[in-house]
Amino acid sequence: MTTREQQPAKTEGRKDPWGVLLENVGKHQDRAAYHALFEHFAPQIKYYAISNGLASHAEELVQEVFVSIWRRSCLYDWRKAAASTWIFTIARNQRIDMLRKMQRTSAEIAVETEDLWQIPGDNENEPVTSLHRLMSERRIRESLSLLPEEQITVIAKVYMEHKSHQMVADELNIPLGTVKSRVRLALNKLKVILQDQNV
Amino acid sequence: MTRHHPDSLSLMEYSAGNLSEPHALCIRLHLDQCPHCRSRVDTLNSLGAIMMEHQPKVTLSDNSFDQLMARIDGDEGGPAPVMPEPRVSPLQKLLGNDINDLPWKRQLADVSVLDITDRFPGQNERVVLQKLVAGGKAPAHTHRGNETTLVLQGAFADQNGVFNQWDFVVLNEQDEHRPVAVGCDDCITLSVLSAPLKLTGRFTRLLNPFLR
Repeated sequence: MTTREQQPAKTEGRKDPWGVLLENVGKHQDRAAYHALFEHFAPQIKYYAISNGLASHAEELVQEVFVSIWRRSCLYDWRKAAASTWIFTIARNQRIDMLRKMQRTSAEIAVETEDLWQIPGDNENEPVTSLHRLMSERRIRESLSLLPEEQITVIAKVYMEHKSHQMVADELNIPLGTVKSRVRLALNKLKVILQDQNV
Repeated sequence: MTRHHPDSLSLMEYSAGNLSEPHALCIRLHLDQCPHCRSRVDTLNSLGAIMMEHQPKVTLSDNSFDQLMARIDGDEGGPAPVMPEPRVSPLQKLLGNDINDLPWKRQLADVSVLDITDRFPGQNERVVLQKLVAGGKAPAHTHRGNETTLVLQGAFADQNGVFNQWDFVVLNEQDEHRPVAVGCDDCITLSVLSAPLKLTGRFTRLLNPFLR
């Protein structure tokens, strides 16, 4: 176990550049930083919207995500999530929220989207685990390039096309069990499954 | 301390935002009490971010950043920053302060139920709260389709072990069990039942996991 005094110094150097920009938006309403984040993430989010079947609302989703980033940036804590991870969860929540609003008929929404899908770091008072987080992120980045194409395809459909494992199976015309085993193999490589076994 | 966790595949579907609202609620309530699974979901969220980064990028229209800034500078001073708020559990928002004090419907001597499906409009699943009185026994039963259950209060035991508060369990037609509420509290669970439409007419008495 590393001593507590050493940890911040060690991890400080590994702050990701987008996290620094995001903190500047949160602390100083830094517009240049905000613009740089927009330039980098908006084209990704626009593709995310299109691949999720929101082609005619893609720019609108990007706007909603960035308004939300502006409003929430003061809550961002680089120790709890990388900027890209944090922004992904905001994009995901805004996508869910937009679909819910479009599908809503008359009934009130009883539970807010944010109550169902958490943004990392919100309302959390646990000890900071930045080192663990940084390591697992790096591991995913490194392992992802080693995964076979068929596993990446399945994961991409789940994350980018809003498809359940069953829908992926139907679309690729393979059994559900095959989809699940591809996902399990991939998560195993990414060490998410290993965390299961530690339970 | 929770012992029974959602599997990685369910957490991945949660992280991707693909679960139905009632299923997401079960996972969310478990996450609130389980640092272990929060850490797994954080990892999966990073996977989502990296997948997004590896996909094609689509150029935005020329004026979209200006439009955004116009909104930020909007006439009411723009969007208000989100402030950290005192934590209110989604469960509390949904069911109020005391889940014991709800309009429970008694089904058997030891078993009461409350159907809250109508709180999730447009979702194709049945959402049911069940209460087994402390020390009470439910009749032996199996399950139809997949049933996701989260223990909200107390604990129950069956041949698979003891399920404590915030434990997460998925049962299907292979699982026949005879749960008993253990400990001194009534055991209250939240269950989400995948409900094929052809079964809806018979659902009134097909309530899980204590009954069936």
